[in-house]
Amino acid sequence: MITARGLSKSYWVARHRRGALGAMRSLVDRSGREVRAVRDISFDVAAGEIVGYVGPNGAGKSTTIKMLTGILVPTAGEATVAGYVPWNQRKSLASKIGVVFGQRTQLWWDLPLIESLELLRFVYRVPVDRFQANLTEMRSLLDLDPFLETPVRQLSLGQRMRGDLAAAVLHEPPLLYLDEPTIGLDVVAKARVREFLARINRERGVTILLTTHDLADVEHLCRRMIIIDRGRLLYDGSVEALRQRHGSHRTLVVDLEAGATIDGFVRDGVELVRADGPRRWLRFDREAVSAASLISSVVARAPVVDVAIEEPAIEDIIRGIYEGGLRAEPAVSE
Amino acid sequence: MDSQIGAELAICRRLVGARLRGQMQYRGSFIAQIAGNFGVNFVELIAILILFSHFGAIGGWDVGEVAFLYGLSCTSFGIAHLLGSGFSSFSTLIHQGTFDRVLVRPVGTLLQVLAAEMQIRRLGEALQGVLVLGAAIGFVGIEWTVGRLVYLPIVLASAVLLYVALFAIEATVCFWTTQATEVLNAFTYGGSDMAQYPLHIYDGWLRGLLLFVVPIGFVIYLPSLYLLDKPDPLGLPGFVPFLAPVAALAFAMAAAALWRLGVRHYRSTGS
Ligand SMILES: Nc1ncnc2c1ncn2[C@@H]1O[C@H](COP(=O)(O)OP(=O)(O)OP(=O)(O)O)[C@@H](O)[C@H]1O
Ligand SMILES: [Mg+2]
Repeated sequence: MITARGLSKSYWVARHRRGALGAMRSLVDRSGREVRAVRDISFDVAAGEIVGYVGPNGAGKSTTIKMLTGILVPTAGEATVAGYVPWNQRKSLASKIGVVFGQRTQLWWDLPLIESLELLRFVYRVPVDRFQANLTEMRSLLDLDPFLETPVRQLSLGQRMRGDLAAAVLHEPPLLYLDEPTIGLDVVAKARVREFLARINRERGVTILLTTHDLADVEHLCRRMIIIDRGRLLYDGSVEALRQRHGSHRTLVVDLEAGATIDGFVRDGVELVRADGPRRWLRFDREAVSAASLISSVVARAPVVDVAIEEPAIEDIIRGIYEGGLRAEPAVSE
Repeated sequence: MDSQIGAELAICRRLVGARLRGQMQYRGSFIAQIAGNFGVNFVELIAILILFSHFGAIGGWDVGEVAFLYGLSCTSFGIAHLLGSGFSSFSTLIHQGTFDRVLVRPVGTLLQVLAAEMQIRRLGEALQGVLVLGAAIGFVGIEWTVGRLVYLPIVLASAVLLYVALFAIEATVCFWTTQATEVLNAFTYGGSDMAQYPLHIYDGWLRGLLLFVVPIGFVIYLPSLYLLDKPDPLGLPGFVPFLAPVAALAFAMAAAALWRLGVRHYRSTGS
């Protein structure tokens, strides 16, 4: 569905000049500096996949998506999306993709939601019966009915996002780009968006590329994740593999009997990271120490009421990667 | 291809309708606004009349004949201004990155930008031009032949196309910089102002500019020579007054090519 090879985008940021004369000069004199937003990124997305595209602020996520929709022409590299080169065949590609920019609506600000959707029917030339069928489905899936007649500018963020999601899929695109579709939403609204996306992926086979800062979105929706930072690809592979390879530390949580203590407990590859009342957190390297042997050596030292093992949160692994933990390793695929 | 254009126009009509309905929600009376715009332009006309009360004629053209030029230019400029309303607010579209959504839709970008905005009040400008043009026609007593009857609307349409293209070029510059809009605006308005006087009063480079760079001369002044049955003081070949549609089309095509180049330079915004 998507093939990207060596995609790069640099922005030329011109020096800002004041006043009318400055404006004239900036037309001629192009001095400034180059921002390399995306550098040499390659990946493939197969039909039917949901891929999470993550990275810290300014990593180049939105820039990548804009190149893959044809909004931006890349500085270097190639891509085909649904068989089209996005920036050369933008209009043809447009009916094959749905786009949601979480920060910005695609709907007509002054019109009731339903009128925006009907306009899009004309814009995308959707046959009336298909449109009606889709609209009916979206109304129930996204619960649009309470605000179908409300002008878009009066919608809450969560309602607007649902409207935007409906607008993006009414023409039945096989591919959906979502740039931060859960931004600013409460937990219930987020869950609803995720459920909707999972469903259209499952039932309609829609391929989804989504960016987000909420890694719970990725954990709920994506088997595969692409991580970029400062324009470069850092990781491309399954979420599970990432956890396995880079989250080798697990945490044993033990509740001691009242008055008991394991202070001074030392063992290679194990570290006491936190203590709170009778509870202790022991971080251990799963390669060096097995959970069973760690538990038995703790129990041997002090009476234990309860134990639990915590897997590393994907959030923590990724924070580690952003902070440079993966920098030295080559980017991998599964 | 034809059905493609037909379909796009149908979409365009919908979009304009939507825009107008949106506008109505805020704005009370269109009539009042149209009248307001009318008033502003009227001041311009008075200035020309005062000029005449001092000089009697401009470059050998009397009041009625210059009023004809003024009416022609003002009518087509007004209609173009109305049709090209979307270009007036285009710098905002670029500045805020909202042009993104235009680019992800399967409809031509120019069409979408044009359809995004229709400032009905600009009808006032066109209306005033029509009145002046009508009065001038009555005043100079044009000798109507079939040729002139047919050619007048063609000239008007050509001039509208040329002005729309001029607005388009002005908007296109936004793809490179949004800082220069006011400077460019001065050029567009300046161009239409210059078209209100007989071309032969300008000399050298200015005349060349109005003929061969922005062919306003070909679209308004030269056809007027034929319509008003005036001798050509520039000594150009006899078919030249009939080149209005050719000149306008060529200019519009150049403007469209520039636009396409601009779209490829679009850089969106960071957030
Ligand atoms: N239109 C633009 N002009 C100049 N620089 C830009 C533009 N758009 C983005 N950038 C720069 O390119 C880099 C990547 O930006 P991009 O918006 O792609 O990041 P992102 O990963 O989407 O970030 P975020 O998570 O904050 O949305 C940033 O350094 C940004 O400042
Ligand atoms: Mg972004």
